[in-house]
Amino acid sequence: MSDPSLASFEYLEKLPGTTFNKLYEQPSTALAIFRRMLPHLAKTFVMTLLYMSKPLPLADLDEWVEPNSQRERGDALSTLSRLHIVAITAPSRDNPQHVSLLPNFRKSLRYALTGGGNHHSFGVPSQDSDPDVTIEALDEYATSQWEGILHYLVHSVGGGRASGKLSESVTTLLTSGDLVRRPGSGPGAHGITKSGFSFLLQEVNAQVWTLLLLFIENSELLGMNSVEVLSFLFMLGSLELGQAYTTTTLTESQLHTLNQLVDFGLVYIPESTPTLFFPTRLSTTLTSDATALRSVGAGFDAAIASRGGESQGFIIIETNYRMYAYTSSPLQIAVLALFTKLYIRYPNLVAGKITQKSIGEAIRHGITADQVIAYLNTHAHPQLHKTPAALAGGPVLPPTVVDQIKLWQLETERMETIPGFLFKDFQDFKEYNDCSKYADEIGVLQWKSDGKRTFFVTRHEQLRDFIKSRKAREAAK
Amino acid sequence: MPRAIRGVLVKVDPSIKAIIVNIDAENHAFIIEDLDEDHLVIKENMVSVLKGRIDEILAAVLTVSNPNGAESDSDY
Repeated sequence: MSDPSLASFEYLEKLPGTTFNKLYEQPSTALAIFRRMLPHLAKTFVMTLLYMSKPLPLADLDEWVEPNSQRERGDALSTLSRLHIVAITAPSRDNPQHVSLLPNFRKSLRYALTGGGNHHSFGVPSQDSDPDVTIEALDEYATSQWEGILHYLVHSVGGGRASGKLSESVTTLLTSGDLVRRPGSGPGAHGITKSGFSFLLQEVNAQVWTLLLLFIENSELLGMNSVEVLSFLFMLGSLELGQAYTTTTLTESQLHTLNQLVDFGLVYIPESTPTLFFPTRLSTTLTSDATALRSVGAGFDAAIASRGGESQGFIIIETNYRMYAYTSSPLQIAVLALFTKLYIRYPNLVAGKITQKSIGEAIRHGITADQVIAYLNTHAHPQLHKTPAALAGGPVLPPTVVDQIKLWQLETERMETIPGFLFKDFQDFKEYNDCSKYADEIGVLQWKSDGKRTFFVTRHEQLRDFIKSRKAREAAK
Repeated sequence: MPRAIRGVLVKVDPSIKAIIVNIDAENHAFIIEDLDEDHLVIKENMVSVLKGRIDEILAAVLTVSNPNGAESDSDY
């Protein structure tokens, strides 16, 4: 998937239908899933179906879709049914297929949009507030907690020198999520792991989700109710920054979660008033869309700039692969050291070179060339933006370097693997042709051979239904 | 009725595919279906094993492949 934070939602798709049913009892969850996870066409479907009293014949739904957009339609419907939002009746001879929203989701989304019900699902704002807690203070708190976690990861590269201020539960979580290995936990096992490396290069929002999913998986082991934890997280996403909320309406699992989130910097609990909690920018943007994501970054830049830190761009890349980075932050230097060979370090500058070896090393650690390039791009020095090519709307980084990094990756990554299902042994060419065409329309086809009457798809559920309904139609003739 | 088989589609260069076919020839533990000259379907649980084997073989075959010559460590 193109958006790294969307990848985190693959976890959700693996949950069983009963879990979804319980999740959708909370209006905030229904709204968050609707806002964050659905393609535009699927949103339109949901909105149209929302106030319909009877199931809609699938054929009527098809009339809203332009004939040449069948792929988008299939994609939207498959996402909706995988997330257990719509139910499509099984096809039979005398009853055409019908589509309808599942009752729990419909009820919750109606509540979420129009208000009503007594569910506390959007948090209970508290009348009392704490004058000391300003938005700036919350930003600073979130930044320092989050950077603490990143520092811990980065320092484990340099030999396990932990910063010390991180709580035990967070380090345990990072270890169990295989982002770092504790020294001595196995032969050669020491410091940061592959997944830890790619974690470091992700966007903040994606990082937060990665950590939260780890936490959810862990909480299941501790006997906590993952549904309650999940719906609590979705609730956090709908809270307002700078507003105080009360903890008295929360369940025990949710209180435990809250304490953990304090360590991550997602919420802040003032010491004087332990029954109040304040969501920080990290949590209020959990379920917002891409534009709000950028404002997380903007929020952090503001926080860093106000503390007198460096401004955004600090890296200069020359066409001869030399790299100069104007920074003194150990975090940034450590990240750069993941994929460059550093030679010199001055008080405010590190200089190094991007080599085949250093990129190869990074790729072996699970970092992709695209991640490296994206990192360099977002942190490019303003001077690079002033080159004639960049001013004309061209690339900011020297194209030779970008191409070379990609070529180096191709040299090490010789295999592309796609998990899925191979379909073969069709009765006749017509059956093969219909099925492979359908697979292409719904966007799951990866490879096909007309000669062998064989094709490969990434998902088989819809195709299985298609084959069955096709069989039924054939039999009817 | 068509059959569906779970597996992993692998896209590779013909040269690498030859190596995979060679590895598989030992005990047929990897390949489910040989599709065409650059596509294969292999067993899901064997992907990482296979990647490791290929890296080993390539490391043995391609001893020196550094077009930049010796890493120019001395130019600072």
